[in-house]
Amino acid sequence: MTASRMPEAPEAARTPEAPEALPHGRLPRTVWSQALRDNRRALAGWTAGTALAGAMYASFYPQIGGSMGDLTRSFPEGLRQAFHMEDLSSAAGYLGSTPFGLVVPLLALFHGAAAGARAVAGDEESGYLDLLLAHPVGRVRLVLQRYAALATGSAAVAGGVLLMMLAVRGPADLGGIPVTAFAAQCLNLALFGAFFGALALCIGCFVGRRGTVFGATAAVGVLSYAANALGPLVGLGWTRRFSAFHYYIGGDPLRNGFQWAHAGVLAAVCAVLVLLGAWAFRRRDIGV
Amino acid sequence: MDKAIQLERLAKTYGRRRGLVDLTLDVGRGEVFGFLGPNGAGKSTTIRLLLDLIRPSGGRAVVLGLDPRRDAVELHRRTGYLAGDFTVDGRQTVRECLAFLAALRGGVPERRVTALAERLGLELAPRIRSLSKGNRQKLGLVQAFMHEPELLVLDEPTSGLDPLVQQVFLDLVREARAEGRTVFMSSHVMSEVQAVADRVAIIREGRLVTVDTVSSLRERAVRTVELHFDGPAPAGEFEGLPGVTDVVAEGPRLRCRIAGSPDALVKAAARHTVTGLLCEEPDLEELFFAYYRNGGGDDRVTDA
Repeated sequence: MTASRMPEAPEAARTPEAPEALPHGRLPRTVWSQALRDNRRALAGWTAGTALAGAMYASFYPQIGGSMGDLTRSFPEGLRQAFHMEDLSSAAGYLGSTPFGLVVPLLALFHGAAAGARAVAGDEESGYLDLLLAHPVGRVRLVLQRYAALATGSAAVAGGVLLMMLAVRGPADLGGIPVTAFAAQCLNLALFGAFFGALALCIGCFVGRRGTVFGATAAVGVLSYAANALGPLVGLGWTRRFSAFHYYIGGDPLRNGFQWAHAGVLAAVCAVLVLLGAWAFRRRDIGV
Repeated sequence: MDKAIQLERLAKTYGRRRGLVDLTLDVGRGEVFGFLGPNGAGKSTTIRLLLDLIRPSGGRAVVLGLDPRRDAVELHRRTGYLAGDFTVDGRQTVRECLAFLAALRGGVPERRVTALAERLGLELAPRIRSLSKGNRQKLGLVQAFMHEPELLVLDEPTSGLDPLVQQVFLDLVREARAEGRTVFMSSHVMSEVQAVADRVAIIREGRLVTVDTVSSLRERAVRTVELHFDGPAPAGEFEGLPGVTDVVAEGPRLRCRIAGSPDALVKAAARHTVTGLLCEEPDLEELFFAYYRNGGGDDRVTDA
């Protein structure tokens, strides 16, 4: 049982059209590593897409930043606050508006929601979990490892964005933002995606229907955006505290660097959601 | 522990729908046990209860001496399972899937996996998405058998397999029994289990109808017999024979239904020149009818 494990195929025999994404040749396969492997193409797509979207917006800064700054100065204060357009002329202010305030987090949100909905509910509906859970893998272990894969994916997306930002930092005139500030914003981005992943996973652990899970998570995402951006406009400043967007960008990491308290809140909520989900998943029937 | 599976008044309700009603059943170690019933009778429900995929609403199950819920991981280590609708991630290749599942079990000798795949005629290189239903089922069989588990729980294992592969499957089951392992397999077709099973349980609408050996079930079964004579069929001679009913003659052809021993029928036919003889396998519904008619099941079918 020791030396001869299941086949690691010789490289040549392995499906030639699918180069290995992970150097897993001698690594033990786990629920975590297999989930990453199975999702490698989707994850590569999300990472590339999100990073490119960020880069595209960033590259507009030299042309748009200044003029948009002039334009938005005439907007009402509340509106400018809502859409993070208080200061479009500075690099940090520009990036904090549409690119990091809306487009990039929205992509991270949907990546998290989609991956989280698939992690339990999707594979439960397809019947795949029946197979995995008939193996010597505890339900809690399955949930935790699936979530670890999701969080790794979210970190990969944020890491892709970070690398891309560092690559375009010079050419796009973003030198005013320190590397640590980019790192701080991308850390929050990773946690932000992981939060919606945890939420979707948790809902999936209760209901086990992929469509419901994705819809509910996306709805929470939209509400979170509204609570952060629009709540203060109508005199409901307190709604921010319940919004993941607030903990993601409220402390303005692109200007102020690491916001450990906010990052900590996101991480803690992820942990609570995942544990709650694992608790629920342990207790219920697996559907078909 | 001489019992592989012990079920005591096991019950499962889905909302208000009853899935399984007070199922009491023992399966001995080393036994090949057939679990028979029409679609929707509660076979998969029972099997999923055994594996702790769903939880009973009443009664209890002891499998390999373990509590399926409390000792789930230990039980799964010693069990091989093939689901009724076996599903894997279509993005994996066959080899990759088996390597992953083997790793979850702490490793399985590669030799054994490739040998199994070869016997069943399963290629390891293709992506699972591209496999036919039958090939997916073969993959399901390989993963269920590859770690040589003490207990095999197989839900409709032969569905989608061509007859040749079905024979290989039956060989695998016989080998498992020869090695003292227990096989619990469900089916909705009698002929699938009668070739290997020692005993058979029949369930219908969530209730156990009967548990018996294959041979005595067959004795009790009603089957349709068709005889061809070289002249007009002497229908009169067959009516009233013990066990024979529904005699219909059409020219040289005679059809009738026979329950129990065909001895009288054969002896009656032997007085004439018989040019053809056709005996249909009893289907499950007919088995049920036979069971009810003989009265043997009445006491066991009532509300337990």
